[in-house]
Amino acid sequence: MPIYPKHSMKSRLGSVISLGIAALAMIYLSYSLPRLLPGDFVTAMYSSSQVTLNAQQEAEHRAYYTEEPGFSRYLLRLVRLDWGYSYAFLTPVSELFLSALPCTLLLLGTANIIAMFIGFITGVEAAWRRESPFEKGMVGGMTVLEGIPEISTGIILLVVFALNLQWFPAAGADTAYAEVSIWVRLATIGHHLVLPLATLVLAYFPGNFLLTRNSVMMVIKAPFVTTARAKGLPPRRIRYAHAARNALLPLVTRFGLRLAFMITGALVVEKIFSYPGLGTLLINAIQARDLPVIQAVVLFSSLIVLTIILCLEFAYRIIDPRIEHAH
Amino acid sequence: MHIDFHQRVFLDPWFITGCCLALLFGIVTVLGPTLVPFDPWDMSFSPISPPSATHFLGINDGGQDIFSELFFAIRNTVTFGLACGLVALFVGVILGLIAGWMGGIVDMILMRVADILLAIPAIMVLILAASLFRPSPWILALILSGMMWPTISKAIRAQTLTLKESLHVKAAAQIGASNWYIIRRHLMPEMFPLYLIGFAAKARMAMFMEASLAFLGLFEPSRKSLGMMIAFALKYYYMDIWWNWLLPPIVCLSLLIMAVTFLAISLEKVLDPRLKEALG
Repeated sequence: MPIYPKHSMKSRLGSVISLGIAALAMIYLSYSLPRLLPGDFVTAMYSSSQVTLNAQQEAEHRAYYTEEPGFSRYLLRLVRLDWGYSYAFLTPVSELFLSALPCTLLLLGTANIIAMFIGFITGVEAAWRRESPFEKGMVGGMTVLEGIPEISTGIILLVVFALNLQWFPAAGADTAYAEVSIWVRLATIGHHLVLPLATLVLAYFPGNFLLTRNSVMMVIKAPFVTTARAKGLPPRRIRYAHAARNALLPLVTRFGLRLAFMITGALVVEKIFSYPGLGTLLINAIQARDLPVIQAVVLFSSLIVLTIILCLEFAYRIIDPRIEHAH
Repeated sequence: MHIDFHQRVFLDPWFITGCCLALLFGIVTVLGPTLVPFDPWDMSFSPISPPSATHFLGINDGGQDIFSELFFAIRNTVTFGLACGLVALFVGVILGLIAGWMGGIVDMILMRVADILLAIPAIMVLILAASLFRPSPWILALILSGMMWPTISKAIRAQTLTLKESLHVKAAAQIGASNWYIIRRHLMPEMFPLYLIGFAAKARMAMFMEASLAFLGLFEPSRKSLGMMIAFALKYYYMDIWWNWLLPPIVCLSLLIMAVTFLAISLEKVLDPRLKEALG
């Protein structure tokens, strides 16, 4: 295969450009779509309240809440971190966003890391013990688990462990207004985290397992593995340093993309367990027609996706030096 | 990629299980309206009653027959998934073929557009569209398939590039076959296995999305859907009727996603040339 050293540079530039366009597209979508919506905040708010506004008050409110900044000014304000005030909560959007972000990061980050770690280890071991009962059982079990959506697992866990057995709390991330020491507080947070975390791990783990197993299977017959065996290396070293390292790439891609789509990935699970993360924030904001919050969540979740995809592009070259040369 | 997949695939137990389940759901989807005993929108029964001989799964809080509701919900979810998969497959195959065969600037533009679409989270666009405009499910299906074609067309493009260099395609070009003739007679039939893999994967994703959106309450409430039935039933968990109201839609949704997953995984195992070599 001929080698084009220039191409690698070009393709990197190309991916940066296309990600830039995608970012602009998302910013424009988040700017324009909510503006086209049929109802507005004033209607949504005052139709459900006891307060009656006279015509002048209503006009003033409407003028205030539907002020039209124009796309270029919107962009400028975005860069200045001036994301506006939430209509429904009357607090700066950035404050709401930053208070919900740690919950989502904690839930999704932990779930992804655990699922990736277990999936990787079991996947490598299963590929190594081909045709054994362990491998066959794991593959069967994981294929079935892969077919169960997280709505189902989440609700079954919720009904069984939170509502019937009452081992774990059914909602929230922390006990409100409790003044306790830091350790007790951490334990409470962990207690609240168990069920949503288990749901997400059960949802992500089978895919990781199957992917690792398949990609390790592909390299396990490669000549370099035979060489490693012939050198008399210990089996664990062959498995992890030789075979698994070459199968790491698809798994890293999956991990990155899962993290990238973290807000959207947790929407359903956060809703089932009423976990106060970004997904819940988004759903509440949509129901209240809280325009600035919808914009901020949609926009930043998309920008996180783009940033992580960009990081992946560069991470590939570190993990697998062949890519740098093989383009 | 001439693979004699008919025999290989029918030996795979996963494929057989998936087919049986898919057949079951297919029957429910096609014959659903004639099989149900009651109109699922009929609210004339006494609310929240337990299962009986006439109402196999009891009555929900709105006085509607749960069994009939379930059949209509399955029908909606399945048609949404299949429609999405079909449109995404059609667009993906056409654009992938064009990009691979024409090459040059067309290829570059199409693949860049695909990259951009891949970087945009589909469910965000769907949530925005569904919550702000309340469009019909068909429009949402169309939007979703508009976001899903890039992976299919990337696979088709890669295979087109390989096939372009193969002897029989070059021979066809030598005897003066037109571009359209080569694409129609040589490229399209040969990539048939890829269509199956792509279609199964996309249909699975679409059904999953439909269930999530319905669970979050982003479809109109009168449209029966598995996700929405789960969301409504969950509100009455304390009433000890969860096994006849909450459980059926959960089991159906899981079986449905399982059927498509089994088909997708076994097709991929048998048809993907690289995997086939490794797995023997």
